[in-house]
Amino acid sequence: MKNLFFILAFLVPVSLLAQTNLLDELNEETEEETVYTRATFKGTRIVNSQSVETVDKGVLQFMISHRFGELSDGPRELWGLDNSQVRLALNYGITDWLQVGIGRTSTDKTFDGSLKFKLLRQSSGKRYMPVSIVGFTSINYNSQAALEGSLLEEEPQARISYAHQLIVARKFNSRLSLQVAPMVVHRNVVQTREQDNDIFVVALGGRYKLTNRLALNVDFIPMLNQNTRLVEGIEEEYLNSLSVGVDIETGGHVFQLHVTNSRGMYERAFATETFSSWTDGDLYFGFNISRVFTLVKPKEFDESTSSIQVL
Amino acid sequence: MKKIVIIALVALLATPTMAQKFITRTGYIQFFSSTAVEDIEAKNNQVSAIFDQSSNELVVQMPIRGFKFEKALMQEHFNENYMESEEFPKSTFNGKVTGFDASKKGVQKVVFTGKLTIHGVTKEVKEEGTAEMKDGKLMLDAKFMVKPVDYDIKTPSVVADNIAKIIEVTMDLDLSLKK
Repeated sequence: MKNLFFILAFLVPVSLLAQTNLLDELNEETEEETVYTRATFKGTRIVNSQSVETVDKGVLQFMISHRFGELSDGPRELWGLDNSQVRLALNYGITDWLQVGIGRTSTDKTFDGSLKFKLLRQSSGKRYMPVSIVGFTSINYNSQAALEGSLLEEEPQARISYAHQLIVARKFNSRLSLQVAPMVVHRNVVQTREQDNDIFVVALGGRYKLTNRLALNVDFIPMLNQNTRLVEGIEEEYLNSLSVGVDIETGGHVFQLHVTNSRGMYERAFATETFSSWTDGDLYFGFNISRVFTLVKPKEFDESTSSIQVL
Repeated sequence: MKKIVIIALVALLATPTMAQKFITRTGYIQFFSSTAVEDIEAKNNQVSAIFDQSSNELVVQMPIRGFKFEKALMQEHFNENYMESEEFPKSTFNGKVTGFDASKKGVQKVVFTGKLTIHGVTKEVKEEGTAEMKDGKLMLDAKFMVKPVDYDIKTPSVVADNIAKIIEVTMDLDLSLKK
């Protein structure tokens, strides 16, 4: 009888062990999934440069960008605030990977149309991809009235320029994201024979999240081949664009406040036509506000009766 | 002879019973926040759960990224700012179901007791729900309230009026026999 007790004593714990850790069993069963990185940047632009983000499917983004006059203009000009340029833009997500956009800048009265498309998404888990890659292509149209004898009058195709960019970004962790984005700006018509119709730049950008809703951005665009302009017959070199800013996110808005040496707000203007210098203190204060509206609900919510809420 | 028979019987009894286990990888959980300013709804169809009939143990696990919102930006904020899903990718319930008799037909009232982990914080919970054995499938349903503040989920003052202090969670799991 004592032997029987012994056997029982050993056998009972064995059956208990076989049932522990149901959680592990569940995890064994569940396949490892690919987790796609989201929100590498808080918005579709870092400061001037396009970021790797596109607008989600069915979502319309409205963006107002302001660029003020030079800070060094002093108190009379309210440090440039009196001299404001505005760019209005609408971007729409046709699908999760394709965004179409239109915009207009008050300087040069230039319209821009663009397509932004996702090529690769950064992911971890089942499928590993270290970076996100997005393509961007745009066309600019200068709609200013042509002054008599001006370039615009003589050669109307001078109104048109293009910018094509490949954006490669990596979200290193929840705080730091970095981006390398080579771009070519093509101008149909240039001022002199020596100038290149194509200017190549590499936009280097990054953001560092200070808190969940506040991020610090840097946007530097060195030119690989120099763009110049004729100023009173003398060829002057354009400078590289450098911008520093903060993103403040509240509910449905992203506010971007920044300081930059670029007056322009569309690709050709800020990447290749920056004439102000950081070292001379010729800087512009600017701010962007972007807001998103959900125009097409995801299919899971088709039957949902809630109306489009504007936060 | 008798001793051998007794030992053999005991050995048989001691063999871990091939307990019935029920499993799903497509369970449904939804949560709903209602305030004067707006209603927020999110749905997750990627909930996995396993139920061990012999011990009445239930484990439910869901990927936070699986919650879908009507507004993509809201989904992004939910993951980035509130749930911090990069750090806490899953929420888990680990506990027992009491009051369930698999042999009975119809909807039975049961109690879910155990540990609920959200946003890295674990709390003991005890909630009522229903269980039903139908066509060989185990259906577990429950509706209960969760307070974000209990799980260290912070709502900034800017949107304090948009997000309810108490969120209603609905769980609808259909588990099949694990083969």
